[in-house]
Amino acid sequence: MKGQNPRPEDAGSPEGLITDASALRPGDRVVYPNQGVCRVTGVEVKEIAGQKLELLRMEREEDGAAVMVPKPKLSSIGLRRVATRDYVEGVFHFLAAQADDPELDWKIRHRDNADRLITGGVLGIAEVVKGLHALSRIRPLPTKEREQYDSSRHLLVAEISAALNVTPSIAEDYVDFALMPPAGTTFKLKPPPTPVELPVRLARRRPVAKSEDDISLDELGLELDAIPEIGEAAGEGEEGAEEKAEGAEAAAPEGEGEAAAEVAPPRAARKGKAEAAPRAKKEPPGKKAKAEPAPKAKKEPARKAKAEKPAARKPAAKKPAGRGGKK
Amino acid sequence: MIRIVTLGPFDDTDIASLSRTLYQAFGLGTEFAGEKPLPASAETDDGRYDAEKLVREAQSPRLIADDKVLFLTGEALALPPGPLGEPPAWGYAQQGGARAVVSVKRLPARGVSEASIEAWRRRLAREAIHFVGHLWELHHCYDGRCAMHPSWSPNLAANPDADLCNFCREKSERKVRLAKT
Repeated sequence: MKGQNPRPEDAGSPEGLITDASALRPGDRVVYPNQGVCRVTGVEVKEIAGQKLELLRMEREEDGAAVMVPKPKLSSIGLRRVATRDYVEGVFHFLAAQADDPELDWKIRHRDNADRLITGGVLGIAEVVKGLHALSRIRPLPTKEREQYDSSRHLLVAEISAALNVTPSIAEDYVDFALMPPAGTTFKLKPPPTPVELPVRLARRRPVAKSEDDISLDELGLELDAIPEIGEAAGEGEEGAEEKAEGAEAAAPEGEGEAAAEVAPPRAARKGKAEAAPRAKKEPPGKKAKAEPAPKAKKEPARKAKAEKPAARKPAAKKPAGRGGKK
Repeated sequence: MIRIVTLGPFDDTDIASLSRTLYQAFGLGTEFAGEKPLPASAETDDGRYDAEKLVREAQSPRLIADDKVLFLTGEALALPPGPLGEPPAWGYAQQGGARAVVSVKRLPARGVSEASIEAWRRRLAREAIHFVGHLWELHHCYDGRCAMHPSWSPNLAANPDADLCNFCREKSERKVRLAKT
């Protein structure tokens, strides 16, 4: 089966999409997004609603189900060849690498995952599996995402099984050996393939979130330089010191930031921003103090002083009372 | 029907206990179908047995329609090495197929005390449910308490339960219902 991918150089990547039906021959193995590995069986002409249509006929390998696609639609459905062995090895290095923080906004996550499953190739599917797996370590997945996790795992296993010419059960063991290695196992990892970029929807979504924030700040006439707490609140995330420095810089060249947001950002850059945006927008109860930009900014100096006082007072009050005597 | 075939000597009470657990887990009749020899052709150079070949070549009782056969062996199993190395083999199953094998080689020692035997049986039952689950097209589960969680995972409890999580249970029930002839 290894020799059945006639064009290994482009297979597996999103760029290896099949757009021309004439490139396919009966017996070729292809991957239909969200359906799995299929085998081309030929071309049929059928009359549908009075129109004669040329349909590419495929058979899903898993269960033999027939899949027929009109030839003109071939370019738009994301049909691609089965990934090559080399490419799949890169996917394993991606799976075994340390996971990024999962996207916490379920809407963005669900939409991105759906996009990745359709357009991302085998690496896109691996990204979905790895992302949801990382999320499952934080909290149990909701039903929809549990199903998405299971179906994406099914697609990944099927494609790896076809690419490496092993049974699905062994392919799944390989996947989980990379995702959850036994204690004490270390891998010599190579740089994984470039992650899939999903620019189409991001270009629409990003400016909306950005503009909302800008409007609220501008309308209130706040200047970030004058309020140091905002910088601190933003920097309380993971990159404390770096972000403080960046916050001071960002106040001056605002135009640059806007221009960068309008251009569809790559996936890696988007992740950091996407986490910040929903926090500011949704304001979950636990993070309100950190994320609220405008109304709190005015009162913050006073509140901060209040917040610090009880912390300072409590131990002072306790020490002389009962506990000091217990010693 | 799940048919248990041993590829070596096993205690009858262990097999009876395993049959009960499999019946509870999948709602399918489970019976012991006797002992068969290990297929010599599946033995590898290092003394282990190629899991895939063993499952393919081991003698099995006559299977009807959706019957599944579970082989039990005391020998160590081997899987072909993957891109990141060879995953540890606790067993092997034909995904969505009819044959699976579980090795007790990696299980903790059976011991002689009641507690250790009970722990050993529970672990054997967990592994058996795991590989029979693969026969019903279940995939690995991220939940460390589920029997479909990978057997080598560091998230697995030291003495894990022999039970499926809700998602895997529902999925297996659905598959069993659809497959019932």
